[in-house]
Amino acid sequence: MGIMRDRKRPPSSATSPCADLRTAYHNCFNRWYSEQFLKGQWDKIECVSEWEKYRECLSQHLDDKHLSRFLEADGIADLNSRAEFATRVS
Amino acid sequence: MLCGLFALENANVSDSISDLEISPRALFPCWNSRRIQGEKKMVRAYSQEHTYKHPWERVTSASWRKFADPENKRTLSHILEVDTLSHKLEPTLGRLYTTRALTIHAPGPWFLRKIIGQDICHCVESTVVDARSRSMQLATRNISLQKYIEVEEKIRYDPHPENPNEWTICRQETSIRIKPLSALASMAEKIEQKCVEKFQQNSVKGREVMERMCKYLEAEARGISV
Repeated sequence: MGIMRDRKRPPSSATSPCADLRTAYHNCFNRWYSEQFLKGQWDKIECVSEWEKYRECLSQHLDDKHLSRFLEADGIADLNSRAEFATRVS
Repeated sequence: MLCGLFALENANVSDSISDLEISPRALFPCWNSRRIQGEKKMVRAYSQEHTYKHPWERVTSASWRKFADPENKRTLSHILEVDTLSHKLEPTLGRLYTTRALTIHAPGPWFLRKIIGQDICHCVESTVVDARSRSMQLATRNISLQKYIEVEEKIRYDPHPENPNEWTICRQETSIRIKPLSALASMAEKIEQKCVEKFQQNSVKGREVMERMCKYLEAEARGISV
């Protein structure tokens, strides 16, 4: 059937080239979160160099305009207000 | 179809399913009212609750890691990528704000793909962790395909009131809104039903992944402390 497109595997994403930098950053972040942030050491965020490299890569490959808007902290306040629960789940 | 959705979380879907003919703003006042006005509303909202028998610290650590773990990737194969777009720490308050992009593979029936023209969906997840009060709140919504459907998922993790140091309660609200687009109007009901089914399947997967991640972190912590 010609109209059936093959559905073998999901396509890779635009940010795949950043996979290694992303893993490095996320590993660092997860360690910082568990070992420092949760233990009250929240005076500064770690993983700065990992973040810089990863972010640089993202800004090159993130071709989706919607997503690019979020790349800098702009818009974060708007989104975070959405995280507040309007109603309590019972 | 987009709404295999996030399936980010867990829990026994079941009980409190309610069809709403009321304005979604009553539920989610922050929704863009410009888009809502003047349209026929078709919203479904679901709420779920699940207790993890793990402390809040472990559960929230698991939440950050669940998409990255290779084994979880097989289970949550519809999540293609998770990218962190921004993070911000408020040192005086002990609050962490994070925005992440989730790239989701959401294949649907061929005719839907024909209409929509893509089977990748981007969602934005924003998270606030308050380490002082021990709360984590996540809100996820789609930013692609918004003219067809809007899905918003809110999750919060708090210490369980009955056993705050050992257990964590997860509360989740999901709302799915299909836009009454003329081409899709007659199918909307069917599509919505499909969404619900898919959502329930993925919900179960999400909970399994969270439980596995918690066990893993528990074992890891024990290994370190022994």
